[in-house]
Amino acid sequence: MADFFLHACWFLPLYGVVGALLTLPWSSGLIRKTGQRPAAYVNILMTVLVLVHGVLASQAIVGREAYRIVVPWLRVADLDLSVAIDVSPVALGGATLVALLCLLAQVFGLGYLEKEASLGRFYGLMGLFQAALVGIALSDSLLLSYGLLELLTLSTYLLVGFWYAQPLVVTAARDAFLTKRVGDIILLMGIVALSSYGSGLTFSELEAWAAASPVSGGVATLLGLSLIAGPVGKCAQFPLHLWLDESMEGPNPASILRNSVVVSAGAYVLIRLEPVFGLSPIAADVLVAIGTVTAIGTSLMTLAQIDIKRALSYSTSAFMGLVFVAVGCGQVDIALLLLFAHAMAKALLFMSIGGIILNTSSQNLTELGGLGARMPVTALAFVVGAAGSTCLLPSGVFLTFRHWIEEARDISPLGVLLVVNLLAALSLTRLFRLVFLGPVQIKTRRAPEVNWLMAVPLVSLTLLTLLMPVAFWHWDLLAFAPLAIAANASPIAAQFGAALLLLSGAIGFGLGLVLPLTRTGARSLQPVLRFCQDLLADGFYIERFYRVTVVWAVAQVSRLSVMFDRYIVDGLVNATGLATLLSGQALRYSSSGQSQTYVLTILVGTGLLVFLAVSWPF
Amino acid sequence: MLSALIFIPLLLAVAVGLVPERVTARGLRVAMLVASSVLFALALAVAWQFDAASGAMQLVERRPWLELLGVSYSLGVDGLSLPLLVLNGFLTLVAIGCTSPTLERPRLYYCMLWLLNAGVVGAFVAQDLILFFLFYELELIPLYFLIAIWGGARRSYAATKFLLYTAISGVAILSAFLGVVWLSGAPDFSYSVGLGSSLAIEPQIVLLATLLFGLAIKIPIVPLHTWLPDAHVEASTPVSVLLAGVLLKLGTYGLLRFGIGLFPEAWLEIAPVLATLAAISALYGAFAAIAQQDMKKMVAYSSIAHMGYILLAAAAGTELGILAAIAQMVAHGLISALLFLLVGIVAKKTGTRDLNVLRGLLNPQRGLPIVGSLIVLGVMASSGLPGLMGFVAEFMVFRGSFSVYPLQTLACIVGTGLTAVYFLLMINRVFFGRLPDRFGNLPPVQWHETISSMAIASLLVVYGLMPSLFLDWSQAQISTLVPRVIAPQEVIVPVAISPNQSDL
Amino acid sequence: MVLSPISPSAHPHAELVHRLERGQALLAEGGTNLMEVIGVLKSYGIVLGEYSRVLKDIAARQFVSPFPVFKFFEGSVKPAQLWRHIIHDRINFEYAEYCMKSMLWHGSETDFGKYVDSDEFAANADRAIRAWFRSNPLMRAIHAIAPEMFLEQARQQAYYRNLGQFWTVMSDIFLKLSDEYDAGEISSATQVSEFVLAGLQDAAADPIYYTLSIRGEDYDLVPKSKGFGFLMDAGVPYVEAIFFRGTPFLGTVSYNAQAFQISSNPGEFAYGALYADPLPVGGAGIPPTQLMQDMARHLPNYLSELYDGGTRGRGDLLIKICESFQKSMFCVTTAAIWGLAPNPLTTDDPQQLAENREYFEGWLTRLTESRVSRVGYTV
Repeated sequence: MADFFLHACWFLPLYGVVGALLTLPWSSGLIRKTGQRPAAYVNILMTVLVLVHGVLASQAIVGREAYRIVVPWLRVADLDLSVAIDVSPVALGGATLVALLCLLAQVFGLGYLEKEASLGRFYGLMGLFQAALVGIALSDSLLLSYGLLELLTLSTYLLVGFWYAQPLVVTAARDAFLTKRVGDIILLMGIVALSSYGSGLTFSELEAWAAASPVSGGVATLLGLSLIAGPVGKCAQFPLHLWLDESMEGPNPASILRNSVVVSAGAYVLIRLEPVFGLSPIAADVLVAIGTVTAIGTSLMTLAQIDIKRALSYSTSAFMGLVFVAVGCGQVDIALLLLFAHAMAKALLFMSIGGIILNTSSQNLTELGGLGARMPVTALAFVVGAAGSTCLLPSGVFLTFRHWIEEARDISPLGVLLVVNLLAALSLTRLFRLVFLGPVQIKTRRAPEVNWLMAVPLVSLTLLTLLMPVAFWHWDLLAFAPLAIAANASPIAAQFGAALLLLSGAIGFGLGLVLPLTRTGARSLQPVLRFCQDLLADGFYIERFYRVTVVWAVAQVSRLSVMFDRYIVDGLVNATGLATLLSGQALRYSSSGQSQTYVLTILVGTGLLVFLAVSWPF
Repeated sequence: MLSALIFIPLLLAVAVGLVPERVTARGLRVAMLVASSVLFALALAVAWQFDAASGAMQLVERRPWLELLGVSYSLGVDGLSLPLLVLNGFLTLVAIGCTSPTLERPRLYYCMLWLLNAGVVGAFVAQDLILFFLFYELELIPLYFLIAIWGGARRSYAATKFLLYTAISGVAILSAFLGVVWLSGAPDFSYSVGLGSSLAIEPQIVLLATLLFGLAIKIPIVPLHTWLPDAHVEASTPVSVLLAGVLLKLGTYGLLRFGIGLFPEAWLEIAPVLATLAAISALYGAFAAIAQQDMKKMVAYSSIAHMGYILLAAAAGTELGILAAIAQMVAHGLISALLFLLVGIVAKKTGTRDLNVLRGLLNPQRGLPIVGSLIVLGVMASSGLPGLMGFVAEFMVFRGSFSVYPLQTLACIVGTGLTAVYFLLMINRVFFGRLPDRFGNLPPVQWHETISSMAIASLLVVYGLMPSLFLDWSQAQISTLVPRVIAPQEVIVPVAISPNQSDL
Repeated sequence: MVLSPISPSAHPHAELVHRLERGQALLAEGGTNLMEVIGVLKSYGIVLGEYSRVLKDIAARQFVSPFPVFKFFEGSVKPAQLWRHIIHDRINFEYAEYCMKSMLWHGSETDFGKYVDSDEFAANADRAIRAWFRSNPLMRAIHAIAPEMFLEQARQQAYYRNLGQFWTVMSDIFLKLSDEYDAGEISSATQVSEFVLAGLQDAAADPIYYTLSIRGEDYDLVPKSKGFGFLMDAGVPYVEAIFFRGTPFLGTVSYNAQAFQISSNPGEFAYGALYADPLPVGGAGIPPTQLMQDMARHLPNYLSELYDGGTRGRGDLLIKICESFQKSMFCVTTAAIWGLAPNPLTTDDPQQLAENREYFEGWLTRLTESRVSRVGYTV
């Protein structure tokens, strides 16, 4: 029986698709007389099935050889593409974890969106979301992963656009799609090139191909950079990081997934592509550079945000930056563990603020405060989530960081880790104080703890996050796969790593405690501080920068094309004698009788021409 | 069998003119729906009989006709023409399906539609150069009337512009055909692969350039494209469906059949220029689409961009490229038909296609939510979202061309990215936001108005997931269509198309 | 026409001010307005009856239970009922809770709100909570650690009870109104407002109280002796919270803090029923859609037939119901405005007339941005 579930693991992504299709009667308006909740129930049921199936399959794989299911998809001319599924503990474990988080988010959504009427569409999209995520976890084919990433791009667009009538949603959904699409298109270029250079598009074929070092120099670098671009967009890394901020306009249950598993999906594809980056040292360096810039830049930005969702979303980018650094350093296993540790904690943080937003109808940090006593479950969840994503306690993140520094004896990222950890602790402490402590404000006067449909996933995820270090010990995750021992191995320096990490967390926490909080929306009066505040709040004005460069350029080129059409091409046409026919009074007043004359003329003319020409030589 | 596909529409064109006045437009439409279903079934029957494993021209018919002039009535179908034949049958059915039941002058309209149909089918299956040309010209006249009589406000301008452009196109094509036959000394106008190969390379290039000029107008390739947006904007929805879905394909079909077929060596010489033109078309079309304020014009410019991919793949001339060109023809046919259908519904219900006016049509109660959802799907297919048919075709195009023309291919991939830009601008303007009060009373969309869109949408998904379903028709035939240097002894001037032709 | 002894109002909505002074409703007379108002109030009455029953039942039976899974089942979970619940063939009680939460959230300045914040209420609630969890040591422990959590839940329960009681009365008024109409007694929108006013005045002194029975023992959370009354402690806060303020809809307003679309002062909110735009109803992120769906299930025949007309028939039913509903709510608002007027409408005293004038103008100033500018003038 266990075998059956193992061999049928290719069906795991399809549950979500089935669920999405089953919502159509409601979302299309076929069923109007009754409400749309059954669509949600159906999808939750499907997610439960994925979870059960995934757990059974994961158990069955223990102690067995990993294998692949390969199905040929398209064989034409010299193109031979197949869809491959990776049946391995990591893939199945990943799929199960995704299903678990999806289940929690979907149940949470039932409570969060209790007054929402369009549940059919929402859960249909969540089903697609889940299908794509589970699929990416299992995929052993770059092409399949690319397709699923694009499906994620689409469902992100539609989920962010869920409240389509809301003015900011209109631009947010569009920008989310286009920003990711920029990354995806460059990734597509890389895939086309890879395929043209003779590599198959399954990850194992890629690895074998890369091992043979068939390309080198500039080509290898360009190839590596193009492959990085997709994950850069998906993981909201600099310079394609803006969409995550904007996509916070979407419903919170989708934000939970977007900040935990969706960004991880992009990073996971990056991890699978790591062998290719080995071809080009520059690509690896760029990974580290992008990761570092994003991690530190967005960590700073969180400090100036007054929107609670955005403050957390920037910290997601920061963490994904660390994953980029890990992949760039060749520490693939560390990167995987980071994703695992981060996903739970970040999902929990987003779940906890969902209750806050619902209760106060506000996301504005300056309007919140004093909620801790009346919403202790939510507050506890926030604390656990915050601790789980920093190095204050023996959290999963801390264990992973320490492992990276001490066991891989790789101290090159130590500086980034310390800075990011310090800023994360500082920022989360600031958030906690602003939301849960301090005086009660007008919008936080009434705050009953969240309803049971939200409380159940919230408490479950709190417990899971607390148990994360236990999971690390129980499954011995740290010894799970061999580490790449860094070349600059420095055992002595590495020994201080753990202590430094804890210290940076403590300093961040301490700074967070003493940081003066302003609960007015007003900006600082001190010019330098105000400048920094504005700079960070607006994300270094990068959006404006894009507006006056890329967006402006595209708009200008478009206008030029149209002018070229109107004045040059059509102008030439009109000038070359056709003008008399095309423009002018004759045509404007021409009845259809007159135009029929033209046709007749042309018809007769052509006929004559043919006849004369054809008969000439004979 | 192939003759039936030509002559039944011709008979229908005559018959529909004889239908008595008391038959209403509504009744006539039903009859035409039945007729076009039968014809579509017939096209499917051709596909059924077609042996995909054989590399030969099939269902060959050849009768002497105008022997004095060396013109024969010679038909045949192969892996290049079959998908287009079936596409044409399907889209004609769709076009009649989306024709208004209360149309004015319905007899003339259907007469023209059938003439058009006969012309298109004839051109796809003609195996004689002059026969092809005659069908190519035959299709021009009814299309002119379809635009000029049932079109929008500036229909005369658009129709005349179309007519002039296409007439020039016809003249160019004819000149090239005459040239190749005269110069090569062939006894008649029968089509055969490598007909121009006996010529020196210079005259080959001149003839090919002439031919390409003619075809480039039809496809259209920038800068010969300005007739198309005008024609689309003024044409009614069914005509736009046919124009984008099938008629433009005559140009690219000619490219593969005659451009490569008649002048394989010259093709190889000229191909780099074509690839660059293709990239320019793809980017230019995309940029021009971004600036459009009219939904239909935007789709029309998108058509120009997407037809550029076909040229790119054909220029690359690899096996995969040729197959990709065919796939992209079918994909673009279906996708643009879907988009024009849906834009047509939006325009019909709201009375405008202006992107500055339309808003919030996703409103489930008073908007057009189903149309909106289908447009999202069509747009995604157009911008190459995996899982839909557009991606398969585009991926094949890019993969088939990259090794030959990497830079041009990359430019075209950028074009794909831009597709998402303009179409998302459109969706977000037209469907997102609050429904304005002026659209608070839109007539509802009936199921029969969306059924053909749903059918096309399903096809896009099915073919997107299982592309071999339609690629299998063409696979075995590709090797005959690939341009290559043909050894002189291989060039036989055939009396008839024989099955062993493909062994060349 | 009676000539007003004071000069005409200079208010932008002067016509409506004069109408209120003359004892006429804010809703324009004529067309199908009356039929729509009565029909929609009939279905609203039925729905409110259901809502109020469940709200009162939750207050009585669920109280601070942490996992009230079957809270909408009123005690008995039968298979058929469960099935209808699962296929969502039911009333959207979530909307009732949404209204309750709006009242709770906006109501902290009212007398009732101040009472539930008082130490007296806290003591009452604490007793009840401990009794409720007598056999549940875990929850008692949690209550001991975080006493504010269940206390806040108890405050919420007081509002369940409050709104439940209020809606019971309103449901009766609307159903009686419909009966009167069916009997041919009602022929104008003004009469509707008068009928509602009479109903409100009859019930004005009805006590609002909350007594919880736990294992046969009564716990007075809001005792009758505090003297909370129907009109001032349920009706007026309800109108303020639901008709006027409301909460921003996620489907139309951005919660983005940096966009500053939402006022930081809830007193300035104008997202209530009188202001809401009916056109987005039925779409995503518009909570009243649930109410419209509920009413759609209980439309009287004559209203169904009216709605079957139009270009879309039943396709845009929810928007049509919402438009009618808004009209009816202006009739109810008229009644509420009259009921709270400082002096009788029939007064001749210039001093009193001037006070009334000022009072009515005050209301209309608040309603300037509301839909009254449509439904008040045109039919």
